[in-house]
Amino acid sequence: MPRSRFTAARLSAFGLAVVLLIAACGTTAVTPAARTKLTVGLGYIPSVQFAAFYRADQAGYYTAEGLDVTFQNDIDANLVPKVGAGNVDLGLSDGTSVIPAVSQGIPIRYVATIYAKFPSIVFAKATSGIATAADLKGRKIGIPAKSGSSWIMLQALLGSANLTVDDVTIVEYPDFGQAAAVSQGAVDAATGFDNNEPVQLETSGQKVTVLRVDQITPLPGPGIIAATTTISAKKAAVAGFVRATIKAMNEIAATPSIGVDAAVKAVPDLAKDKDLQLAILTATIADWRRSTEAAGAPISGAIDQPGWQASLEFMTKLGLVPKPVTVGDLVDPSFTAGS
Amino acid sequence: MTRDLARESDAARSDVARSDPARSDAAANPPDLVAAAPAAVRLPVGPSVLGLWPIVLGAVVFVVAWKLVVVIGGLPPFILPPPETVAARFVTAWTDGTIPPHAATTIGEVVLGFAVGAGSGLMVGYGLARSRLIERLVSPYIVAAQAVPILALAPLLALWFGPGLLAKVIICGLIVFFPVAIATMVGIRSTDGGLLELGRSLRANRRQVLVTLEIPAALPSILGGLRVGVTLAVVGAIVGEWAGADRGLGVLVNLARGSLFDIPLLFATLVTIALLGIGLYLLVVLAERRLVGLR
Repeated sequence: MPRSRFTAARLSAFGLAVVLLIAACGTTAVTPAARTKLTVGLGYIPSVQFAAFYRADQAGYYTAEGLDVTFQNDIDANLVPKVGAGNVDLGLSDGTSVIPAVSQGIPIRYVATIYAKFPSIVFAKATSGIATAADLKGRKIGIPAKSGSSWIMLQALLGSANLTVDDVTIVEYPDFGQAAAVSQGAVDAATGFDNNEPVQLETSGQKVTVLRVDQITPLPGPGIIAATTTISAKKAAVAGFVRATIKAMNEIAATPSIGVDAAVKAVPDLAKDKDLQLAILTATIADWRRSTEAAGAPISGAIDQPGWQASLEFMTKLGLVPKPVTVGDLVDPSFTAGS
Repeated sequence: MTRDLARESDAARSDVARSDPARSDAAANPPDLVAAAPAAVRLPVGPSVLGLWPIVLGAVVFVVAWKLVVVIGGLPPFILPPPETVAARFVTAWTDGTIPPHAATTIGEVVLGFAVGAGSGLMVGYGLARSRLIERLVSPYIVAAQAVPILALAPLLALWFGPGLLAKVIICGLIVFFPVAIATMVGIRSTDGGLLELGRSLRANRRQVLVTLEIPAALPSILGGLRVGVTLAVVGAIVGEWAGADRGLGVLVNLARGSLFDIPLLFATLVTIALLGIGLYLLVVLAERRLVGLR
């Protein structure tokens, strides 16, 4: 090989190596191997209600925080012990589950609020004549089971009108068929979630009355929970997850269609009725802010500690707090501003 | 009919004795083996002694193993509470009135469901044994019903029959039906053909054949089916409660797990369910010993 061509080849290879080295030094992306893995348990089934998590994942907000997030779905009853045991790093769990769980020794903390308004409500057809809690007296009320957040909410709502569950007739729907039961007149009212059953009925053309418990007893809605050991071992990762999720929540609150698109990308079946998904997401976004906050106010995930204190006292009266706990045992406000 | 058969049996035994004098003597004067045994080796045999040791030993091994798993695994109480915590919670849950009303409800469902399932299983099993036409007509549906998981059927049954006792009894009855029907069919078919022929030759009617030949022959098999059925009845009651109920041990399991996060109470309830199943099983065993003898 002629000497000039050999020298040119060596120079070309050297030049290529230099270019590649500069490119490698210039990149700011964190390689997958360096990211902190987090498993996150969301609710019962994939839903547009978890759009903020899907958006944060798809838009790379979790990656930018150095996280490698995987989702799984489960009910509170299973998820809370899993988070407590560290088998799942973070979970989306109802505050009314956190209180008895911590009282029973499950080492978890509520680190950020997702639902600032308690989503569990009582709904009835507008033609039922039910407009206040007092109107429930003597009526038939559908509920999935005499346990969980719906049961606690119902007792709080009835109590606000000096009623108890003995003043109404409870009909259980373990298959969550309360919406159909109300629609068909099998019951006068039912418990549900303000971003689910009422939306379904309104979408089908039936006007609905909704009774809320927020102004009566500010029960803590679903939020992000973590084990105390996870908080100690992965504090930065937990903080990054909260930041990224809240960022996605604010983005979706400003432009809900972003959330629907993210949900459809994560759960393709949701594309069958995008209008319904948008209606559900709009109702969900309304729950991300407290009743006292303006419609466009920034979402912070802050924890309402006075509200938690009131809820703790209420649930203690119901006998759901066998071992005394304090708000400090239940929440960790260090991950959100304004807590 | 019974007297004729007994006479026939005696006559048959006499024929054997006449043909073999040695057997005749032995049959007439069986040696007293118990008296002949040396006193030192005459052990006090009986279920009160021999039957208890393995049970107690097994329970001790189980509890020790449980404790070791908790201690060696470092498992927190909300994952696997230690046996002493469960025992304490079991006692308090019974004495403070937490478990009794739920247990009473479940026992009622089990008893009624077992009665319905076993009763219908016995009748259908007899029909399957004695009629090939019935067997061919009904068997596919019986097997299909058994193959469909009761967990999938239970919510439908609760929807059709309501969340009250009726749905639970039907669910229990369905789960008990299959083992009892099959055991009855197998047992009835195992009746000695020679005896059946003898009965026919003596012009025994259907009822007489059933009562004096078929039922005695089928009893061991039927009682085996009832042993299985009675424990499955407990499963059926729990599944029925999960499909919709406001009281029962199944409801308490869900409350303890999903609402109260009281895992020791969950385990105490599971222990109660297990004891209920064991107790009912032992009742069938006692009935079997009375009707069939020690096996």
